[in-house]
Amino acid sequence: MKKHPVSLTINGDQYDLLIEPRKTLLAVLRDTIGLTGTKEGCSTGDCGACTVIVDGKSVTACLMLAVSASSKQTTTIEGLSSDGALHPLQHAFIEKGGYQCGFCTPGFIMASKAYLDENPNASETEIRHALGGNICRCTGYTKIIEAVMSAAEKMRAAR
Amino acid sequence: MSEYSVVGRGVPRVDALEKVTGAAKYGADVHPPGMLYGKIVRSEYPHAKILRIDTHQAERLPGVRAIITQADVESGRKVFASDKVVYFGEPVAAVAATDSDIAEEAAAMINIEYERLPVVQDVMDAIKFTAPRLHSDEPKDDPIRRAVRNRLKHLSLDDSDDHSEEISQLEAKLNMLEQNVYYNISAETHTEVGDVEEGFAASDIIVEDTYSIPRVHQTYMEPHVSVASVDSAGKVTVWASTQGPFAIRSGIAGTLGIPLSQINVVPTVMGGGFGGRFGVTMTHIPAVLLSQQTGRPVRVQVNRKEEFLDGRPAPGCVITMKTGAAKSGEILACQALAFWDSGAVSGASIGSTIRVRGVYKIPHLKVDAYGVYTNKSGTTAYRAPGAPQAIFAAESQLDEIARRIGMDPIEFRLKNMREEGDLIPGGGKEPVVGYKETLKAVADAAGWWNREKSPNQGWGVAIGDWTNGCGPGGVYVSIHEDGSARIFHGSMDITGTDTAITQIVAEVLTLPYERVTITRGDTDSAPYATGSGGSVVTFTMGNTAKLAAEDTRRRILELAAERLGIEIEALELKDGKVFVNDSDLPKSISLGELAAYSLNTKGGPIVGKGSFAQQSSTPALAAQIAKVEVDLETGRVKVLKMISSQDVGFAINPMAVEGQIEGGTVQGYAWAIMEEMQYDRNGNVNPGFVDYRVPTSADLPTVESVIVEIPAPNGPFGAKGVGEPPITPTLATMSNAVVDAVGVRVNDLPIKPEKITAALRNNGR
Repeated sequence: MKKHPVSLTINGDQYDLLIEPRKTLLAVLRDTIGLTGTKEGCSTGDCGACTVIVDGKSVTACLMLAVSASSKQTTTIEGLSSDGALHPLQHAFIEKGGYQCGFCTPGFIMASKAYLDENPNASETEIRHALGGNICRCTGYTKIIEAVMSAAEKMRAAR
Repeated sequence: MSEYSVVGRGVPRVDALEKVTGAAKYGADVHPPGMLYGKIVRSEYPHAKILRIDTHQAERLPGVRAIITQADVESGRKVFASDKVVYFGEPVAAVAATDSDIAEEAAAMINIEYERLPVVQDVMDAIKFTAPRLHSDEPKDDPIRRAVRNRLKHLSLDDSDDHSEEISQLEAKLNMLEQNVYYNISAETHTEVGDVEEGFAASDIIVEDTYSIPRVHQTYMEPHVSVASVDSAGKVTVWASTQGPFAIRSGIAGTLGIPLSQINVVPTVMGGGFGGRFGVTMTHIPAVLLSQQTGRPVRVQVNRKEEFLDGRPAPGCVITMKTGAAKSGEILACQALAFWDSGAVSGASIGSTIRVRGVYKIPHLKVDAYGVYTNKSGTTAYRAPGAPQAIFAAESQLDEIARRIGMDPIEFRLKNMREEGDLIPGGGKEPVVGYKETLKAVADAAGWWNREKSPNQGWGVAIGDWTNGCGPGGVYVSIHEDGSARIFHGSMDITGTDTAITQIVAEVLTLPYERVTITRGDTDSAPYATGSGGSVVTFTMGNTAKLAAEDTRRRILELAAERLGIEIEALELKDGKVFVNDSDLPKSISLGELAAYSLNTKGGPIVGKGSFAQQSSTPALAAQIAKVEVDLETGRVKVLKMISSQDVGFAINPMAVEGQIEGGTVQGYAWAIMEEMQYDRNGNVNPGFVDYRVPTSADLPTVESVIVEIPAPNGPFGAKGVGEPPITPTLATMSNAVVDAVGVRVNDLPIKPEKITAALRNNGR
């Protein structure tokens, strides 16, 4: 299949690549660039494990073609901590035990970040619904929600 | 204040940083140079003869490096279907290519001609004479015919008397019962204690019903994947996301006839398992075969659809159960006949049918269980394998009996519960148990004794037990010259077990948690470790690590005695230092100093070893109370409150233990209310998260967990296994709550809204 030139900006770094138009953003992140923190759980956009942030919006990378992310800003879990310091969400997931096997965790953290950036004063019910596109099979969600609530509070205080 | 300084605390897990930064390497994150992508070609029909497999067109696709079928399996052991397929999605061939899309394209280009055969999907149809046979035509006796045959056998062996008359009567009866047989039986198990007929005759109240529990998928979030690399000398390296690397090693050796020493299994971080990631599964063998063929590393990764088609989910089950009790509230007899849907491969958890006995004193018990072949993929363990199904039937029956007697369901259970020293029907005596304490704890936490409810709201209670297993394991502990300790072992971390092991070693060595680190080896380097599942890890590896740490402490004190020229008895290990007791001059020596000193001693570096195997297991109970509200219009069940208590012996890490309780409870809730793998004559019809719904954060309120600690005499610091129990009662907890809310009992899970509205209409509401 003919390859196309694509310019991706991932976590602030620019990647000029030649890729087949059928390749998803997820496949390019993981297999071409080697950023494997973004996970593939269902390949159909139903589990949220591959959630990344593209131009400020949360996106399931398995459903976006890499060519569509051209000239856009993509942030993955690897780009979340800044200057070696963990993001408040990452801190909160550790402190509250908001993960177990950890496979869904990058997706949950990225989806939570996109949502809290948009709605910093979200209630528990709003957060529970906003994260309804992300599946976790280990935790039963109790500690994930506690972590996101706690991070939201810290993020508000830091504003 | 706890007597301990590290165990018993909810410290952050040892893998915290890698899990929240995306640095943790799971199976599909392994990418050796030159790696090819594998794809499995699957059967399109649930039951069919294979007439022809044509790979010519696919072979010509640029980028394809290998195509294999059963003909390429030199050992002759079955890896791919060759003459007939017995379920939709069964592997028939596999492809390796330079790109994942090319592999997929090639797989689609392999042309397989089939001749369809009749299909059987329903377990109760499959046992009938009229059902198509999957593997064999041989019938098995039903319990009635079996009893006649057993009596015959008994009499023919007994020559103390002349039984010829009875024998001929029984032979005639056996012939008359010719049709009392089942077909497509994969396995059977029978248990009889006392005489149930006697028990039922003495009962005032008898409840009998049939319960149907659906087949559900573990849906661990990481789909199965393995990467295999075979070098020119034939040495096989397999990176695997697995619950048990040593079982993968022996599985590959057995299937492909490769010596054990020629196989190294490198475990990756595991994205959930719940029992579905034990032993050789869908990807390991094809990956090795493709790498052998191509001389390059090959990754075989399945997608979610393949997980549903060819995973090994939990078996569905149909249980007919009868329970008898006196009106004063004593359970007198209990009988169960269960048919477990094994799918096309033997292996359903039929042995768990005995769990219908629960933790109750039951004088008369009879259990007959059969595994039944159908045209579905095989099954395997899912968190407390078989227990949720059996316990759903039993705890529904008890709820119904309590209702009819007019006794509080918790009082009724407490009255019948076994205690220390009581006989367990079917085997053994109870050790120290915390059954009553656990049930009372959940009742208190829920406010059960003065509970209130509005119309269409209800409260349900149920309990479930599990006996944590135990396996072999080995652990090494070394002390470094900086005074830190490192643990080396080979067991898979299953949501926090590495952390528990680290806490245990830190406690024994009196080191701060942060000064102890843990490394997992591969099967070439690490001592053997049992698979991580069945609530065995903290019990087994915790005990092993404790032994290793104690061995290390012994060596530390020995070295200190040598160094200080003092008797060992005068020394004490405290705060990571060795102190001299009863000395005029307070004297201490640090572990770092001792480790450095050890390098120039006769005895050498400080290395402690722990090795552990079978020990008696410890039973643990989970008890749950749910408050629900049922929407009469739509039939939707909304959970208002969910409280889950569990006897964990001793919580090494309470935060991790709560996580297990919460997660298990939600899985049980989902089994009761929403999950079901559905099949028709073409196979599984809901192979994806759109049609197979699992709960999200929007579905449930917070689960309240209540930790009960009745120490296990032989558990590390008293700990019991915690993973399995919380899923065991929830199916019945939910069903019993719905009955309390609207008077409708749905015995055919899941309790979907349409079943409730249909039942309400039947009741004239």
